[in-house]
Amino acid sequence: MSIASTIVQNTPIFGKMFSVDKSTGLEEINAWPALMIMASFVWLAIAGLLGFVMPVTQLFDMDTGLFYTTLTLHGAALAFPFSFQLMMGVGLHRSGGCVGKPVTGWLPALAFITMNVGAGLLTVAVLMGLKVSLMVMYPLPLVGAQMGIWSMNSVVLGFTGIYLVLACMILCYPILMLKMTFFGKKRPDLVLAERSLNDPGMLGMILSAMTLLVAGTPLVIVGTTVMAALYGIIPMSMAAWATEPVVFQYAFFIFAHNLMEAMALMVMSAMYATLPLYLADGTRKLFSNKLANLALWILLLTSVTSFLHHFITLYPNQPAGLSYWGNIMSWGTGIGAAISIFTVLATIWQHGLRAEPGIMAVLVGWVLYILDGASAMVTSNIAWSYQLHGTMWQSGHTMTVILSMSIMWMGVLYHHYPVLTGRKLDPMLGSWFVRLFVVGGLGAAISMLAGGAAGMPRRFAAWNQEGWMVYGNLTFFFGAILGASFLVYAYSLLKSREISSPLGQQVAAA
Amino acid sequence: MLDFLFSGWGAFWMTLFMLVPFAAIFFYVVHRKSVTDSGPSTTAGAKMSRLEGIWLTVVFVIFVGVNLGSLKYMPTMKAAHAATSNQQLHEIDFSATSWAYDISNRQIEAGSTVRFSGKSKDTMHGFAVYHPDGRMLFTMMLMPGLKNPTTLVHTFNEPGTYKVRCLEYCGIAHHAMQDELVVVKRS
Ligand SMILES: [Cu+2]
Repeated sequence: MSIASTIVQNTPIFGKMFSVDKSTGLEEINAWPALMIMASFVWLAIAGLLGFVMPVTQLFDMDTGLFYTTLTLHGAALAFPFSFQLMMGVGLHRSGGCVGKPVTGWLPALAFITMNVGAGLLTVAVLMGLKVSLMVMYPLPLVGAQMGIWSMNSVVLGFTGIYLVLACMILCYPILMLKMTFFGKKRPDLVLAERSLNDPGMLGMILSAMTLLVAGTPLVIVGTTVMAALYGIIPMSMAAWATEPVVFQYAFFIFAHNLMEAMALMVMSAMYATLPLYLADGTRKLFSNKLANLALWILLLTSVTSFLHHFITLYPNQPAGLSYWGNIMSWGTGIGAAISIFTVLATIWQHGLRAEPGIMAVLVGWVLYILDGASAMVTSNIAWSYQLHGTMWQSGHTMTVILSMSIMWMGVLYHHYPVLTGRKLDPMLGSWFVRLFVVGGLGAAISMLAGGAAGMPRRFAAWNQEGWMVYGNLTFFFGAILGASFLVYAYSLLKSREISSPLGQQVAAA
Repeated sequence: MLDFLFSGWGAFWMTLFMLVPFAAIFFYVVHRKSVTDSGPSTTAGAKMSRLEGIWLTVVFVIFVGVNLGSLKYMPTMKAAHAATSNQQLHEIDFSATSWAYDISNRQIEAGSTVRFSGKSKDTMHGFAVYHPDGRMLFTMMLMPGLKNPTTLVHTFNEPGTYKVRCLEYCGIAHHAMQDELVVVKRS
């Protein structure tokens, strides 16, 4: 039995949601993904609770330090060990079944360990006082240590944690994906639904793995240099170039921006692969594979350099030419989105839809993703950027992009769940989850964008100015509905039932 | 109207303008093709291609139109204009250190065009100026270690007290990093 299945089996509550099915001979594909998905939901539970603490500290005028601690932990937990790890788990399960290769060996283990140990170390560092927000705000960690706000030990620990998380996202996961796709022998017994690279459902996975590797390399170099200096392996003077704020910030955002784009490519490809399975007339065909692939390529090419929109308000230190370029490329991604909008709606129109909870979660996640894309394009326009940068608009955008992609993966998980666990989920609970999510997700996103439009600063422990508290309260309210939708989802995982129909059918349907 | 469109709330309505019609069509299509009649449609391929062409053209025209319309409102354009014309500029230099500003002059005459030039002395900071009515006029990002200051050109027309806030998270007292500028009637 795989060590991953054993860990899942011995984990209280969460283990029950994901106990691995070993009866089908697919444990080699199931075990590590099940463990990763389970761990991601543990982090979601932590992040969700912290999400409520933030507005509570504001409502009851509590300690501002508590606000910044929860802000840092909430963002970090949501973005990496929840969202990315969920994607990694479901994505690896998909790939294993598409190319007929096992998800075993030291690489998946390393990906799991680096992500969770890294996130754990960062959590400890934040609890030790390192309140630097999700974005680290370099050189804030070092400046804070110099000022005596937090200890240098917490900085070293926090950086080590972040470094491990990055190693998982930039190296372990993409290398594992590429290895599974291009190397090793295909095992017919592991093939669930064969796909080639011409298939949009596979193309996006590979494009995104490549994006993570390429866009992450500068940050790996800079990060490794800084880490080596922090641990005294090389003298600080040798790392001086890498500790320059401008070098670190640009390396960070080339990666951070493209990380989001890579995750978007992956989730789009998962949708292109999943939607055809739920078409009412059983055609299993997209309106056009060519259009779907074109959208992915446009998204990839325009997004690579659109990270420049993060530094528009740094003018003239970021030359205007680069900002215009970032502006144009950001709106270029909108063309890719417009094409995918047409492809998805035309597919449903042509073939009809079996509106089951899984595919509905994918689709409403995608609607939220389009809203997020619109908000991102708007704030990437130079004129608007000067009015929105640093406000709740950005927090709303960041939260929404992570939330929308996660919900799409949670929808895709509906499809994988029977193969993973040999059990199926209750459709009634599923449709309640989707309904609550639509209200909570859209409501929270729009409330935060409105706060930004009103000039409400983000990462700011004093909401009670200029009437901004109303946006905080609205976000709190819709956040509670969002929390309820996740609880319903978790409950449906706990209450899943053994599949009564022959397993062969379920596997074939995957 | 363009003045409103390129404000914070204009951004909000622009975003909803992109979302609402799309969401409405989405829920219509899904409802129609899953509840009302989930059978295959007989819409001809040629009609779909025509629809696709129209949709992409409309999107493209809106995207280009909005961005061209925004040119006039880009501070980068205003700075370029100030540099090439003989416009009289009122210079205000400032520096940011956790958690306060050192501003060369906090008083401005109504109607004058100001060039703000700012640097950070320790970590990332922001410099956002808020109108007396509470809306944000602009924000600037200050990154430590750069040779040149971040700059921005803005014309103040209405007298009043303008709040300055830091919008780049800079540690535990970030929310207290505030200051004020006063715009007075021209004497
Ligand atoms: Cu500051």
